[in-house]
Amino acid sequence: MEEMKIDLKKLVKRVGETGEFITCDESRCDGCGRCADACSMGLWAVSGGKARLSPRYTELCLECAACWEICEREAVDFHYPRGGTGVVIEYG
Amino acid sequence: MEEYDVVVVGAGPGGSMAAFTAAGLGLETVFLERGRKPGDKNSSGCGLGQRWWRDFPEIMGELPGLPSYRKVEMVVINLVDEDNRLRMRSGTTGSDLDATRWPHGMEGASVYRSCLDPFLAKRATDEGAELRTATLASDVIMDDGRVAGIVTDAGERIGAKVVIAADGAMSTMARASGMRNRWGAGCTLVPQLDFGCDEGKLDDVIGNAEWCWFGPFYGAYQVNFREGFHLGAGQWLRRDWDTRPVDMLKRVMAIPAFQAMTRAVDARPREYQAHLLPWMEKPAKSFSAGLMLVGDAAGFPCPLEGEGVWHACTSGRIAAETAAYAIRKGDFSERTLSEYERRWRASSLGLEHEFGREFVELWDNSAFDPEKMGRQIQLLLELSMLNPFSICFDWGDAHMECLNMHLSHFLDMLPEFGEFGGRYIKPFARGISPGNVRRMLCMMKPRLPALRRLSDERYLWLLARFSRSLRPYLEGREGE
Ligand SMILES: Cc1cc2nc3c(=O)[nH]c(=O)nc-3n(C[C@H](O)[C@H](O)[C@H](O)COP(=O)(O)OP(=O)(O)OC[C@H]3O[C@@H](n4cnc5c(N)ncnc54)[C@H](O)[C@@H]3O)c2cc1C
Repeated sequence: MEEMKIDLKKLVKRVGETGEFITCDESRCDGCGRCADACSMGLWAVSGGKARLSPRYTELCLECAACWEICEREAVDFHYPRGGTGVVIEYG
Repeated sequence: MEEYDVVVVGAGPGGSMAAFTAAGLGLETVFLERGRKPGDKNSSGCGLGQRWWRDFPEIMGELPGLPSYRKVEMVVINLVDEDNRLRMRSGTTGSDLDATRWPHGMEGASVYRSCLDPFLAKRATDEGAELRTATLASDVIMDDGRVAGIVTDAGERIGAKVVIAADGAMSTMARASGMRNRWGAGCTLVPQLDFGCDEGKLDDVIGNAEWCWFGPFYGAYQVNFREGFHLGAGQWLRRDWDTRPVDMLKRVMAIPAFQAMTRAVDARPREYQAHLLPWMEKPAKSFSAGLMLVGDAAGFPCPLEGEGVWHACTSGRIAAETAAYAIRKGDFSERTLSEYERRWRASSLGLEHEFGREFVELWDNSAFDPEKMGRQIQLLLELSMLNPFSICFDWGDAHMECLNMHLSHFLDMLPEFGEFGGRYIKPFARGISPGNVRRMLCMMKPRLPALRRLSDERYLWLLARFSRSLRPYLEGREGE
């Protein structure tokens, strides 16, 4: 059976310049890596015992806020990007 | 600084319904949306159930005019075994009772948020509310311990007697006002893939139905639109979260029966979305001085199925009515706004949450144990085959009310089951000769521990005593 190929990057649209909207407070982060598990786009990785956010997140983030919600140490701070910018959902 | 009676944050279903209601009550109302237009940021099933006909008939009447609308008359459940083979496929349009409950029976609707949200927002602006798009509310204005307005990301300050926060699961307003930070427990993440497909083929293969998939991967829903469908599956964002979101969907996409369906309707993946959905045992605190939270911001979605658009609209309406009450009183204190909670608790929305804990546990005790769930779903499907009640797609009322109604209908029907056997099962036996009936019954005997020691004669005599329908075959003089 032929498998359906899914390239998530091709399945997301976005507009405008979002500016920065996610930060991680390293002094709180214990490197548990749950942000990495919950991120659809694979924007988090743990290295040196701390979660690191991809510098390209403003081009790739889906704005779901799962990284903020799942972080028990409240190290991840998430705010929505500037009004009128970021992800555009056409078939929600 | 501009001043309004009411500032509504968010133009999702909850915000637009609040703005519509507030404007209709004569309040100066503005509602703000961070997307370029309402719907731009939103991902949802988005299936709407039967109680919409009771509470928002004017909206349901208009939905067929929206481009993505598909009528929903049944839910078809696909049950898959450990080897990904389809074990059972079953759907029902509901019982005779269901057909009479609402003016349109068990009819519901599915429609994309990119259609629904602009439509609901336009109702509010037609009613006189002012909409500002591409506007993010990033902070609250506090005055003497009460929320007295909001600040936009452009630094603009907008004053309000009452702020209604309809800004979704990650409510910036709840956070900025200090009501809460993250949920901590009870919030799910729902990854969703939209597929585009051929409209005519979708009509032929699926028709007016929603589909669900159950199997060793928990459960997933498939909501069908005019020329596309959503595949989505949620999971609580808690300690045991152990998978990449899109992998949940890939497990469904690996099912041969799913692949066959996608080929039959020419489906291709078109858009990927991920969105939080609060799925709580009970809602959060929903008011403070000068502020009310509606919809997902308050954690209102149904604790059994995560349905939340009706809950957002219902709470939006109640919040706007409470704002009018507070403004008449000239009092925006926490005490006065507690009226909001009193009102939503007394409504059908409140009833939904009285059994929240049990509903949430039901999932933990079934769907998360694939072995148990497979059997439970099969049993429910088999029961619904008798057609006494529709176990699925009853979004007609608070779930406890639905369950009680179905249960009492089921009990009412018990005496009819004998008749059911006579009418629908007996005809199978019509062509069998009495001699062969006796022979078949005797073949069964060794498998019946309680009876297998009896002689054939004694065994048949006993069966004749117990079954009126068998008696003529066993005692009759009709020869072979
Ligand atoms: C994948 C998925 C499937 C679902 N399926 C169904 C279903 O089939 N049926 C059903 O009834 N429910 C379903 N739900 C639940 C339902 O979508 C939500 O409960 C419902 O959308 C809540 O409405 P709301 O108005 O409270 O919030 P939202 O729909 O989230 O709307 C919030 C709005 O506020 C805007 N906003 C947010 N923050 C700000 C800010 N600071 N400033 C300005 N604007 C802001 C957002 O852009 C958005 O437009 C589903 C949810 C998900 C995630």
